[in-house]
Amino acid sequence: MSLMEKILSVKNITTGYDKNIIITNASFDVNSGEFIGIIGKNGAGKSTLLKSLRGFLPLEKGSITLFGKELKSYSQRELAVQIAYLQQQVEMTFDYTARDMVMAGRYPYKKWWEQSSDEDGDIVDACMKYTGVMELANTPIKAMSGGQRQRVYLAKVLAQQTHVLFLDEPASGLDLFYQEEIFRFCQEMCKYGKTVIMVVHELNLAARYCSRLMLLKEGNIIADGNPEEVLTDSILTEAYGVDIRSLINKETGHVDIFTVPAPDDGRKKELIKMIVGDEHNHGKAVTYE
Amino acid sequence: MNNYHHKLISVILFVALLLVICTSLSAGQYDLSFMQVVAWFFHKMGIPFFENINVTEQQEAVLMFIRSPRTVVGLLVGAGLAASGAVLQGLFSNPLADPGIIGVSSGATFGAVIAIIIGINSTSLIGLPLSAFIGAVIAVSLTIGLATRHGRIPVLTLLLAGVVVGMLFSALTAAMLTIMDDHKVQQYLFWTIGSLDYRRWEHVLMGVVPISLGIIIMMLMARHLNILALGEAEAKAVGMNVTKFRLILLAVATMTTASSVCITGSIGFVGLIIPHMMRMLVGPNHRHLLPASMVGGAVFLVFCDAMGRMLLPNSEINVGIMTAVLGTPYFLYLLRKNMDIR
Repeated sequence: MSLMEKILSVKNITTGYDKNIIITNASFDVNSGEFIGIIGKNGAGKSTLLKSLRGFLPLEKGSITLFGKELKSYSQRELAVQIAYLQQQVEMTFDYTARDMVMAGRYPYKKWWEQSSDEDGDIVDACMKYTGVMELANTPIKAMSGGQRQRVYLAKVLAQQTHVLFLDEPASGLDLFYQEEIFRFCQEMCKYGKTVIMVVHELNLAARYCSRLMLLKEGNIIADGNPEEVLTDSILTEAYGVDIRSLINKETGHVDIFTVPAPDDGRKKELIKMIVGDEHNHGKAVTYE
Repeated sequence: MNNYHHKLISVILFVALLLVICTSLSAGQYDLSFMQVVAWFFHKMGIPFFENINVTEQQEAVLMFIRSPRTVVGLLVGAGLAASGAVLQGLFSNPLADPGIIGVSSGATFGAVIAIIIGINSTSLIGLPLSAFIGAVIAVSLTIGLATRHGRIPVLTLLLAGVVVGMLFSALTAAMLTIMDDHKVQQYLFWTIGSLDYRRWEHVLMGVVPISLGIIIMMLMARHLNILALGEAEAKAVGMNVTKFRLILLAVATMTTASSVCITGSIGFVGLIIPHMMRMLVGPNHRHLLPASMVGGAVFLVFCDAMGRMLLPNSEINVGIMTAVLGTPYFLYLLRKNMDIR
């Protein structure tokens, strides 16, 4: 597959949950090898966009084509070998081991009566080694830390061997090191021709690793381009509704993004006084009479 | 949970199975020792062991026509109930699901009451089981019908529908009971507690095909069940047709449970606690969990039945009572123990 080949084409889609429309008139193309970060504030419609691209939500209007074929015409299984999708929060009732979980990624390749083969086992092993969870293969997922768990889920998504990866906030709530590692994994995968679309909250990391950013505000894509084009003060300020600055850090060469605090108003001071209290108890017991 | 661990558990379960079968064959009012049962096995298979131990013709008749069918029914029903329970728990990704929760038991009970009222239970051996089976299938179909919307079966709706249908059928049963003669109420009570008493080879014949077939299909579907148990969103993400597989597995579990319950009457606890116990022993992967539950259920039910015959002199305790009495404390113990580890 040559680079810069168009793999996904979205035309004027309007979508949401039942009658509750969230995304309106979104259009864009996705090329092979891109690492796209979908950014925007909470409730802007990032996850909804990703879900509708995967075909989980019915389109109210517009069309999505994947590899030149209408998304609707794919069967569930056909889609699962083209796009791997990692949901925001995997809720597990039973305590599966890491290996069981990663093996789930091989599901779409099997006919219903087939059992997993040695080849599946090899692919699963390779994925777990790549994300560094091979030693945890027989460990129950519930006994793992958040970072380990996320690496297991990443291995599962990779075991699906799809050209396209959709990841919904895979780095949220992780330690800094693990967050960056996930971005590095994705960047590397894209270098080898995979395409990644990821919902991201960490703007600084998105700026450094993503090849393209898509900024959402209230269900509309208000900016779409490379990180330098999207992460400007004015665009970010508009999207997030608070005063935002982005600066290139001279020492690291990375983009630093931060909010400018609103000017202090008198009312807030009153509230703080109320919360903190005038007198502290300092070890005294509170007595009730 | 490595391979060695799984092999060890398999061996333990297999040995337990053999012990429990021999215990069940030797337990009861007619005198037979454990060793006589073992000797009888060897004699029957033509292996020259324990030739000094004598088994009388009368004892052999008891073994052959009373205790063997009873034990085999126990094995079948125990395996069927426990495997179905494991499937339903995986299917709902809810560890509290059991065959009763989608209306199987209440439907079967209603069917049994109808059979008793009409009186077909006294005219033919298959009358009551067949009626119970039909009742169970109707109840589950109603549950699924109520829960299906736009081609989807949401788990929570299904559970609620199951509870509602269960209540409906219990109410219908209660209504029937109020207009029934006393001796028929007696028969109903006898059935509802669940027992392996007086089960003959005919009962085995009735159950062996649907229950074994059900168990085999469930085991073949283990890989799909693993995916379903991850929840709907994960299952869809790897391309599973969730509704289709839920329906198939529901149908198989219903058939297996209904076939079991209609032979023995409703027996609680096996479908709930055995999969639980086995999950603690072999982990949640259904490729190991289903075979373990099957053997575990068989062992547990036959053990309960044997205990019911041994505890009181000159009288028996129904197996349905034994499963609850033995199951509850052990289940609580496991729960507490598990909590300590966490």
